[in-house]
Amino acid sequence: MSGEVILNVENLNKAFGGLQATDNVSYEMMTGELSAIIGPNGAGKSTFFNLITGYHAVDSGKVFFKDRDITNWPPHKITRLGIARAFQVSNIYPRLTTYENVRQATLAQQRRTLNFFTPANRLAKKETMQLLEITGLSQQANMISGNLSQGDKKRLELAIALGSKPELVFLDEPTAGMSGEETHETMELVKRLNREIGLTILFTEHDMSVVFGYARRLTVLHQGAVIAEGTPEEVRDNEEAQRVYLGEEA
Amino acid sequence: MDVSLLVAQSMSGLSRGMMLFLIASGLSLIFGVMNILNFAHASLWLVGAYFCYSFWHLMQNHGFGMWVSIPLAALVLAAIGWVIEVVLIRRVYERELPEQLLLTYAMVLILGDLIKLTWGVEDKIIVRPPLVDGPVFFYGIPFDSYFIFVISIGFFVAIGLWWFLKKTKYGHIVRAAVFSREMVSALGIPIPRIYTGVFVLGIFIAGLAGAVQAPVGSITLGMDMAIVVQAFCVVVIGGFGSLLGTLVGSIIVGEVYAFSILFWPQGALVLIFIVTAVILIVRPWGLFGTPMRV
Amino acid sequence: MEILTKRYWWLGLVFIGALVLPLVVGEFWVHVAIEILILGLFAVSFNMIFGNMGQLSFGHAAYYGVGAYATGLLMVRASVPLPICLAASMVAAGICALILGYFCVRLTGIYFAILTLAFGQLLYYIIFQWYSFTRGDDGLQGIIPPGALFSATYYYYFTLFIVTGALIAMWYVNESPFGYTMRAIRENADRTRFIGINVRRYMLINFVVAGMFAGLAGGLWGPFNRSIAPDLCNWHQSGIPVFMTVIGGPLGFFGPMIGSIIYTFLMAFVTGFTEYWPLTIGLVIMFVVLFLPGGVLGLVEQKMKVFRSRDLETRGDRSAETGSS
Repeated sequence: MSGEVILNVENLNKAFGGLQATDNVSYEMMTGELSAIIGPNGAGKSTFFNLITGYHAVDSGKVFFKDRDITNWPPHKITRLGIARAFQVSNIYPRLTTYENVRQATLAQQRRTLNFFTPANRLAKKETMQLLEITGLSQQANMISGNLSQGDKKRLELAIALGSKPELVFLDEPTAGMSGEETHETMELVKRLNREIGLTILFTEHDMSVVFGYARRLTVLHQGAVIAEGTPEEVRDNEEAQRVYLGEEA
Repeated sequence: MDVSLLVAQSMSGLSRGMMLFLIASGLSLIFGVMNILNFAHASLWLVGAYFCYSFWHLMQNHGFGMWVSIPLAALVLAAIGWVIEVVLIRRVYERELPEQLLLTYAMVLILGDLIKLTWGVEDKIIVRPPLVDGPVFFYGIPFDSYFIFVISIGFFVAIGLWWFLKKTKYGHIVRAAVFSREMVSALGIPIPRIYTGVFVLGIFIAGLAGAVQAPVGSITLGMDMAIVVQAFCVVVIGGFGSLLGTLVGSIIVGEVYAFSILFWPQGALVLIFIVTAVILIVRPWGLFGTPMRV
Repeated sequence: MEILTKRYWWLGLVFIGALVLPLVVGEFWVHVAIEILILGLFAVSFNMIFGNMGQLSFGHAAYYGVGAYATGLLMVRASVPLPICLAASMVAAGICALILGYFCVRLTGIYFAILTLAFGQLLYYIIFQWYSFTRGDDGLQGIIPPGALFSATYYYYFTLFIVTGALIAMWYVNESPFGYTMRAIRENADRTRFIGINVRRYMLINFVVAGMFAGLAGGLWGPFNRSIAPDLCNWHQSGIPVFMTVIGGPLGFFGPMIGSIIYTFLMAFVTGFTEYWPLTIGLVIMFVVLFLPGGVLGLVEQKMKVFRSRDLETRGDRSAETGSS
C-alpha cells in the first residue's frame, strides 16, 4: 500500500428537499486501500457515491482525486480520469448480451467509440473475454443480460466497472442477491484485484461477514454523517456504531 | 404610429389569441393529464366548424340558427371525442411515444379526407345574424363585433375551466393526475374514467372553438393544418397542462402575430417559431408548466 | 462480412433485381423505383436517430429540404455539376444539423420531438418567406439533370449507385463501435455516461451524420422531380420517414427501406385510381400501429422464430439454444 492520497473528500453536503442526505462528510483514501462504508438504510451511502461520481451536484464541499478538484464534474469525465462504479441496482444494458455489455465498456475505455468504420465484432475481443473470465461470466457471454440471475447481474456490474480500467472503484452492495459461494468468489476477486493490481476499492455492504472479512478500514454513516471510523475491530467496539445498528439487527 | 392602429391590432391579436386559447386549452389539458399529444386536435376543430355550418344550414330560415348551431356542434364533437377515445386512444396509453404520435397523426390524415368526402371542397360560409355582423365602435375605432363575441366565449371558457379545475372535486382529481398519475390511482380513483372524461372535455372545447370560428370568414379545407402548429406553439410556450399558461401563451402568440403584420408581415410565423424554439431550449416545460415532466 | 452473407443473402437477389428493373418494367415504375430509393435513403437516415438512438425526430425533413435546395440552387443558379452539388448538399445539411442539433440533443422524449418539429417548421417558413433567394412558394423550377442523366433509366442507375453506396456507409457506421455506442445510449444513457462517454456529444454527432445523409437524399430529389418547393421541409414531409420506418420495422437496418418500398408502391398504386390517398395511408398506419408494432420486419422475425424453433424441435437439437436455466 503506497502512501499517496488518491481520494480526498472535504465537507460534503447534500440535501434533497428537507432531507440532509449527506451531512458534512469528510473522507480520505490512500492508494491501494480496500475499505467499506456501512450504515443502516437511508444513511446516505449511495448518495455519497453519487456525489463523488458526478451523478448529483454537491451543495457544498469538495472532491479531490489525486489532488485534482473534480467536484461536480460530469460523470463521463470522472470515469475517464480513472474512477468507476458498480451500481446498487444493476444498471446494465438488459437487451444486449453479456459480452456486448462488457465490450461497450472496453471500447469506451480504449477510446474507440468514435470509430465509424471497423465492425465492432472484430475489436476488443481479448480484453472483453478476459473480464468475463475473471468475473466468472464466460459461460453466459452470449446470453441476453436481462435474463441473467440476480447474482450474475451484479457480477456483470462489476465487469462493466472494471472495463473502464479504473484506479479507484466504488462497489455499491457488490454481493446483493448472491449465494454464499458466489459472494465468496466475488469478494475473493475483489481482494485479488486490490492486491495484484493495486486497485483502490471502496464498497458498501449490508452483509457484515463480508464487511468484516474483507475491509481493512470501516466508516459508519448515519443520517448522512460519519459517526465512526477505523479498523473493523475498532468500529465493532464503538458504542455509537452499536447503537445505530442495534435498531437494525435482531 | 397611430394609437388607433395599435389598439385595433391589439384587439385583433386578443381575438386571435382567444381563438387559439379555445383550441389550445383542450390540447394542453389532454397532454397534461394523459401525456398524449393530439395531432388531430385541429382537425377535430375543423370538423366542429363544418358541423356548425351544417346545422346552421338546416336552420337557415330561423334567426337563431347560428346561436344554436354552435353548442350543438360542440356536443357532436364531444360525442365523436368519446368514440375516438374508447376505440383508438385507449389502446395506446401503454405504448411508446412514437406510436402515440403516429396514431394521432394518422387521425389527421383520415379526418382530412373524411371532411372532404362529407362536405366537399367548396368553401362554406355562414351568414352571421345582424347582432354580430357589423362594426362596433370603441372611441371611434371600428371593431368587428364578432371579435367581441369570440373574446367573451374565450373568457367564459377560461373561467369555466378554472372553476372546474379549482373548485370542483372532479377538477381536483384532474389536477392531481397532471401532477402524479400514480398517486391518483393509488387513491383508488379509476384513471381510465378520468382519461375518457378529460379527452371528451378537450374535444368538446375544440368543437366549440371550431363552431365559434365557423362564422369568421369562410370555412376551407386545410384550415386545420394552418392552425395546428400555432396551437402547438401556444401550448409549448405556455406549458402543458397549465390553464394559465395556455391563456398567456395564446395571447402572446396572438399579439405577436397581429403586430408582426405591421412591420414584418412575412415573418409572423417565423417569429412565433423562434419564440417557441427558445422556450423549448431554455425552459422546455413552458412558462407555467410543471418541470417534472421533462 | 459473414453476417452479411449469412443473414442477408436475399440482399444479393434484391440487388440483381434492382439492376435489371428498368429492363422489365415501364418508365412509370422506374420513376417509382427512383422515388423508393431516395425516400428510402431519407428514412434510413432518420432511423439513425430513431432506431439507433431511440429519439423521435419529427423534423428530419429540415435537412432533406436543405439538401434539396442546396443542390437545386447550385444547379440552377451556378450550373455546378451534380456530384459536387450532392456533396454540397451533405455539407449544408450537416451544418444545419450541427446548429439545430446542438439544441435538440439537450432534450429527450416528447420535447425532443416537438423541438425538432418546431425547427423543421422554422426552416420551412424561412425558405417560404425568403423569396429573393429561394423563390418561396413558387418553388425552384428547372432543375434538369445533366447530360445522359436526363433519361429516367440512367438517373435510376445513378441514384441506385449513390444510394447503395450511402447504405453501405451507414451499415458500416451501424456495425462500428460508434453504432454500438449509440444503441447503448438508447438502451441506458446513464450507464453509458458512467463508462466515460459524453452522451450529449455523441448524440449530436449522430444527429449530424443522419442529417448529412438526409441532405444527400434531398439533393437527389431535386433533379428527379425537376423542381422543389418549401414543403420539402414541413412536418408532413417529416412524417414520411416516420411512417416508413414504423411500417418496415425500426430495429432492423433495412426496415425503413422496406417501409419505403411498401409506402411508395402503395402510393403510386392508390393515387392511380383515387384522390383519397391520405385516408388510405392513415388507415394503414393506424393498422400497423395498433396491430403490427414491430412493423413488417418484426412480423417476419416472429415468423422466423416460430419456424426456427419448430425446425429445431423436429431435429431434437436443443443445444443450439443459448443456455438459460
